[in-house]
Amino acid sequence: MSDFFSTDWSAMTTTDWTGLTILLVISGLMTAAYFTILKPANRDNFEQHRDFVNHEDDMELDREERHGQA
Amino acid sequence: MSGEKPDEQEYSFTVVKWFSLAAVVYLVVGALVGDFIAWELTFPELNFDNPYISFGRLRPLHTNAVIFAFGGSTLMATAYYIVQRTCHVRLWSDKLAWFTFWGWNAIIVAAVITFPLGLTQGKEYAELIWPIDIAIAVVWLAFTFNFIMTIVNRRVSHIYVANWFFLSMMVMITILHVVNSLAIPVTLTHSYSIYSGVHDAMIQWWWGHNAVGFFLTAGFLGIMYYFVPKQANRPVFSYRLSVLHFWALSFGYVWLGAHHLQYTALPDWTGSLGAAVSMAMIIPSWGGAINGVMTLSGAWNKLRDDYVLRFLVVSLAFYAMSTFEGPVMSIKTVNALSHYTDWTIGHVHSGALGWVAMVSIGAIYHMVTKLWGREIYSVSLVNTHFWIHTIGTIIYICAMWVSGIMQGLMWRATDDYGNLVYTFAETVSAMHPYYALRSIGGVLVLLGSLIMLYNIIKTISGARQPVSAAAEAKA
Repeated sequence: MSDFFSTDWSAMTTTDWTGLTILLVISGLMTAAYFTILKPANRDNFEQHRDFVNHEDDMELDREERHGQA
Repeated sequence: MSGEKPDEQEYSFTVVKWFSLAAVVYLVVGALVGDFIAWELTFPELNFDNPYISFGRLRPLHTNAVIFAFGGSTLMATAYYIVQRTCHVRLWSDKLAWFTFWGWNAIIVAAVITFPLGLTQGKEYAELIWPIDIAIAVVWLAFTFNFIMTIVNRRVSHIYVANWFFLSMMVMITILHVVNSLAIPVTLTHSYSIYSGVHDAMIQWWWGHNAVGFFLTAGFLGIMYYFVPKQANRPVFSYRLSVLHFWALSFGYVWLGAHHLQYTALPDWTGSLGAAVSMAMIIPSWGGAINGVMTLSGAWNKLRDDYVLRFLVVSLAFYAMSTFEGPVMSIKTVNALSHYTDWTIGHVHSGALGWVAMVSIGAIYHMVTKLWGREIYSVSLVNTHFWIHTIGTIIYICAMWVSGIMQGLMWRATDDYGNLVYTFAETVSAMHPYYALRSIGGVLVLLGSLIMLYNIIKTISGARQPVSAAAEAKA
């Protein structure tokens, strides 16, 4: 088992380090995305858009709460 | 940003109409070529010793026709339609939109000419020769730029999730197409890939699987997120789930390509990584499927008489099925049996005919009635189309499942002395009934697409309008 998880760090090429960095950055971003989306306090912020396409004629769309782009 | 929404007349819908019509025509053409080559496999005499219509040359014509001509036209029609409606603004540039329409169609014509002539780069789903590859990049970037600028000019603050899926597709397909197509031209029609050996294979399948992941999944999920809630007149089941599975798909899909190269010269760990991420992708894929299907909660009765919803919901069932089957097939143990067999063809077509085609057909029927302001010419014909397409798809994929598993088992069968039990020719001969069944399934899909084309032409020409869809449904 220890063989399986051991890594020869000195053999890592630039490509290996680039790949590893990208993997770690994406994993971090993905974790942050999960926390942000699933945080109970953010629920209403997301779910207010559930019926977006059925209210295309509704000007209420612009009265979004706590939306940074408004 | 103001919330003023332009009148319907102020949107750029003419280009959407043309793309929608083109999509239906290409569906017929793609199905026709596909079914013809299916018959060629059943009865090789149909090659007629004519190189221009041989299986090898027509097969890429079929795949390019259905993926890029039909799928691409559907994506461009729906992206232009949805971005205007959800951003409450006209397209940023009409001229650029028309450039994408004529440019995309010119590329398709070029494919129709070059493939039968045998001009190809030999890279699956990226067969077109280098000058056409450059044209694809230019037209695709024009499409992307117009879409992004329309979002920039939007009159509502929120960017609806469907637009995020389209954006993801546009960005990733640009990167994938450019990187995979990098080549050194030697003549106007020939070039050499800048990659060689296993690198070429890895780049090719990084492109190949992400053509599925971003062109045929992300883009069509964008379609689903607009048309399912719109047609059902119901809110999306969970908007949080839509955002979550969007990011999971976008982050995860790009790692899958190596699962196409199990047991090859590729390092073993790369295939394992591809398979592991493939398994993980079941979660976001099913997140999308469940979100779409559950949007109908409390409105299931609509399936009884809403012909568009029927296409959309069944497409989601096929989507869930094929996104479970794919990861299972990527596992090395299963892949040892399934790879190079007809099981793969069955899997691809459950996604292509079941998911992509049906969600597109539902969206096009919806758009045609809205864009031309008319009831559909005949609801009965749409119902016929639905059943004929569904039955044809099921016949096709079941035939390929049985054929593929049998093929894999025959290839690996050994006697007590370790000798192969069957010759390759015997395995080919055993496939014959299933190839015939597949061709019959294809005939049904082709018939369905012809019915759709007829119905839509009659609808547009106003031959029998206004027809009350509800009245005809009752009749």
